[in-house]
Amino acid sequence: MTETYIAIDQNLCTGCQECTKVCPNLAIEGLPHQPQKTNPDKCVRCGQCVQKCKSYVSIAEHGAAAYARVRKERGLPDAFKEPLFAAHFFSRIDEVKKALADPDLFTVVQCAPAVRVAIAEDFGAPLGTLAAGKLAAALRRIGFDKVFDTNFAADVTIMEEGSELIDRVKKGGVLPMFTSCCPAWVRYLELNYPGQRQHLSTCKSPQQMEGALFKTYGAKLLNVPPKKLYSVSVMPCTCKQSESARPEMKDSGQRDVDVVLTTRELAWLIKDLGIDFQALPDEKYDSPLGDYTGAAEIFGVSGGVMEAALRTGYELLTGQPIPAVDVTAVRGTNGFRHADVQVGDLTLKVGVVTGLKHVKPVMEDLKAGRLDLHFVEVMTCPEGCISGGGQPKLICDTDAGEAFGNRVAATYEHDRGLPLRKSHENPSVQKLYADFLKKPLGHESHKLLHTTYCGDPKHH
Amino acid sequence: MPSEFGLFVSTDIAKCSGCKACEMACFQSHNIKRNNVGKTVGTISVPVTPKLYVTVIETASMPVQCKHCENSPCKAVCQQKAISRVGSQIIVDEAKCIGCKDCLMACPFGAIALLPFYVGGRQAPQADSSGGKVAASKCDLCYEDPEGPACVRVCPNEALRLTDVNEERKKKNIAAAEALAVINAGDPGRRALS
Repeated sequence: MTETYIAIDQNLCTGCQECTKVCPNLAIEGLPHQPQKTNPDKCVRCGQCVQKCKSYVSIAEHGAAAYARVRKERGLPDAFKEPLFAAHFFSRIDEVKKALADPDLFTVVQCAPAVRVAIAEDFGAPLGTLAAGKLAAALRRIGFDKVFDTNFAADVTIMEEGSELIDRVKKGGVLPMFTSCCPAWVRYLELNYPGQRQHLSTCKSPQQMEGALFKTYGAKLLNVPPKKLYSVSVMPCTCKQSESARPEMKDSGQRDVDVVLTTRELAWLIKDLGIDFQALPDEKYDSPLGDYTGAAEIFGVSGGVMEAALRTGYELLTGQPIPAVDVTAVRGTNGFRHADVQVGDLTLKVGVVTGLKHVKPVMEDLKAGRLDLHFVEVMTCPEGCISGGGQPKLICDTDAGEAFGNRVAATYEHDRGLPLRKSHENPSVQKLYADFLKKPLGHESHKLLHTTYCGDPKHH
Repeated sequence: MPSEFGLFVSTDIAKCSGCKACEMACFQSHNIKRNNVGKTVGTISVPVTPKLYVTVIETASMPVQCKHCENSPCKAVCQQKAISRVGSQIIVDEAKCIGCKDCLMACPFGAIALLPFYVGGRQAPQADSSGGKVAASKCDLCYEDPEGPACVRVCPNEALRLTDVNEERKKKNIAAAEALAVINAGDPGRRALS
């Protein structure tokens, strides 16, 4: 049976169909003014419908008792006071609380880059406030034994994906190569363009790389048996939970990531535990699996994976540092943009797609043999992960421009402020390769960090 | 020149999808100061209490909200003098409201609801402290907001409009006159007479 990740409450939906306008895969079905349903076989779990929905449990319409009932149905803590909307994702706070309370488990956590530029909003901070230090402090107060960071794995992703691209270009491999960090995009491709699967990078997403490293390299460093290591990730994304549940994602010998919370769920957990987020000091992420460069941080914005790959790929190919670290040619918010980047003798043709609805013409061009590019980044959400389905939900969509703009600006600000801004310069990543992986695309990398997306997407 | 009559928000029912973006925006704009509501849903810690009410029927939907009647029955029946005219708007003073429901009964459109009244993130106490206070909740046209009604600004379908009936009438008059002018201009007999 297909597990449901995103659903629409039939008692709450007014049938406005605003969500159908943002659904990138026509997965929401129903008649106007009648409750809508998500088709789980088509849903890519991007959660944009959850962001859009404004139809809430109302005292005036549903009565005072309805709120407590729906809150309970959705497994939310009693301290939860936010409005409950028709389109929603299922919360996994309870699973995390149980693991934290289990004395036999050693809990490790990772956070995606986009979480730190948005979570403070749910505690009243201005839209797009950077709170990397407070976030680390909050995770420690919650009780995680180690506070690591997806950004470490984002740097590793660049080593692997950059090397894969160079390999494909040099050896005449399948091009263009598409990024595979975004699980909703991977699922969209599997559902709609299964014949183009070989264009996907074989790299796992940073979340899954970090998860696989936790239970192998990390378990050794921590001297904890992998079976006792409970791995939690916090993501701006409602699709990451289903990515972590894919049958391919067990290369450490166990499930690599045990449970995924969205940014909003982490805010609920922080409130539930009575932690005053805004009063927290700035703290650091734990070394080595929490050490990161600016290149990793920009994974959260559209064009960021591309820019990070170019910062490192340039040096890998030419032996020289890239002339300008800020690769502004690939930044922006247009649905599809492309640029030629000179890398030594090679003119690298790159493309960036943001917002899954813009990918269809690109895929049609690919099928028709008209897509003359080497490397394409695809992100499902309107402006990349900072606008993900699990990010703080805006009360008014008219604030989206300000929210996304500020989150993007905070991301680049964080990147500029970090001492290292290229993934290959991360000393902990260098040590990971020296001590454990040996080399990008090597035997261990192949086993732990790469995958072949397999099977019928309807079953995961 | 400001209208002599009360402005109100009218809905183009053909455009309204029934999404309730107007209700959320209405609640937000009235609870920024009162209940510390920010720009994200996570900053909401009190029940959503809007001042307009999206109504879905089988074939259509629209928010029902106060028309700021000139001969306001709600104001007429309120014995507590909790409902008054401020400028051209009809406003409820929640502090004075005792929850007697006379205004709800008097309003022909159901534009008033009795809803929990929260201040500082907590439900205000009843006069005798025996429970939480409720108060009449209805559109005040965001009269304290220089940008005007929040519902109009956020509607994704531009179905809502702040309406001035005098201006509306003048526009219709001009349109009617222009329509007649075309007919007259096309009649050579009439032109010969003039």
